[in-house]
Amino acid sequence: MVPRSSPLATTFIRLRPEWVTVAGMPVPGRLPEDTAVRAAALGICDVSALPRTGFKGPGAANWLAAQGLSIPGVANSWCFTEGGALVARLGRSEFLVEDGPTGGIAMRTKASLLPGEPGVYPVLRQDCALALVGERVGELFVQTCNVDFGSQDPAARGATLTQMVGVGVTVLQTELAGVPCWRIWCDGTMAPYLWETLVGIAGELGGGPVGLATAFPAWVA
Amino acid sequence: MKLLTCPVNGTRPVSEFVYGGEVRPMPDPAGCTDVEWADYVFNRSGIPGVKIEWWYHSASGTWFHAERDVATDRVLRTWMPGEAPVAYTK
Repeated sequence: MVPRSSPLATTFIRLRPEWVTVAGMPVPGRLPEDTAVRAAALGICDVSALPRTGFKGPGAANWLAAQGLSIPGVANSWCFTEGGALVARLGRSEFLVEDGPTGGIAMRTKASLLPGEPGVYPVLRQDCALALVGERVGELFVQTCNVDFGSQDPAARGATLTQMVGVGVTVLQTELAGVPCWRIWCDGTMAPYLWETLVGIAGELGGGPVGLATAFPAWVA
Repeated sequence: MKLLTCPVNGTRPVSEFVYGGEVRPMPDPAGCTDVEWADYVFNRSGIPGVKIEWWYHSASGTWFHAERDVATDRVLRTWMPGEAPVAYTK
């Protein structure tokens, strides 16, 4: 079976990472120069390997609830559901379901949707998914995005659909494997450009790319 | 920076939006004359004043209506199709 491939796979090859496999996708576990110090300042980590799927349509909310998932009540917000999966409500009637380090909620829910379900349509999600950790993430957002994330209340669990350096992204503040982080999803075709741009700015802030084991030690021991 | 308020995603730079043209009723293509259809397809009103337009928030894929004075480029209100207009403060 051909392994799943991150939208950033070719970008990582020249970084010579130590690879780990998550949900069938090789991703950098460690990079030659990533350190806990870099991650504490501003670490950018590829978490595209997390299984995810999407649903949209006027019946999507009720259908997902009927599958036993917790659903955010208002547009552009998110919550955790069983097994640590993340459910983000994008706009009013579209949902992103992404597994955490454990659990198979996303693929199981995807398989549960049968053709002809009224008002529910599957959405293929082959995003580039990033996690940003460290103290200086806010400074990176200030340089790359027009939304003032610093004024947002993390307790509100808002999901923001906007542009970073001209790329359409979904951004939210959450935690992954017990580590507080910011999550970014973008179309995979724009991933190398977004990655290179963010890494360049992060380097000026004392950060840079980090592997899963550095950003989320409890996840990849 | 010019700002526009999406009724779902909030106020954003206008660079996140795409203009979709004036909201115009489409004549029945099976019942109208060729002249009426050609007028609908090829002609647009250039009269300055307040118009209702389609706008698209590209980051979220949201189409919505905006009431805009095209003479002053001042947006008066925005709303989702089929819903009541929301207050506009910008």
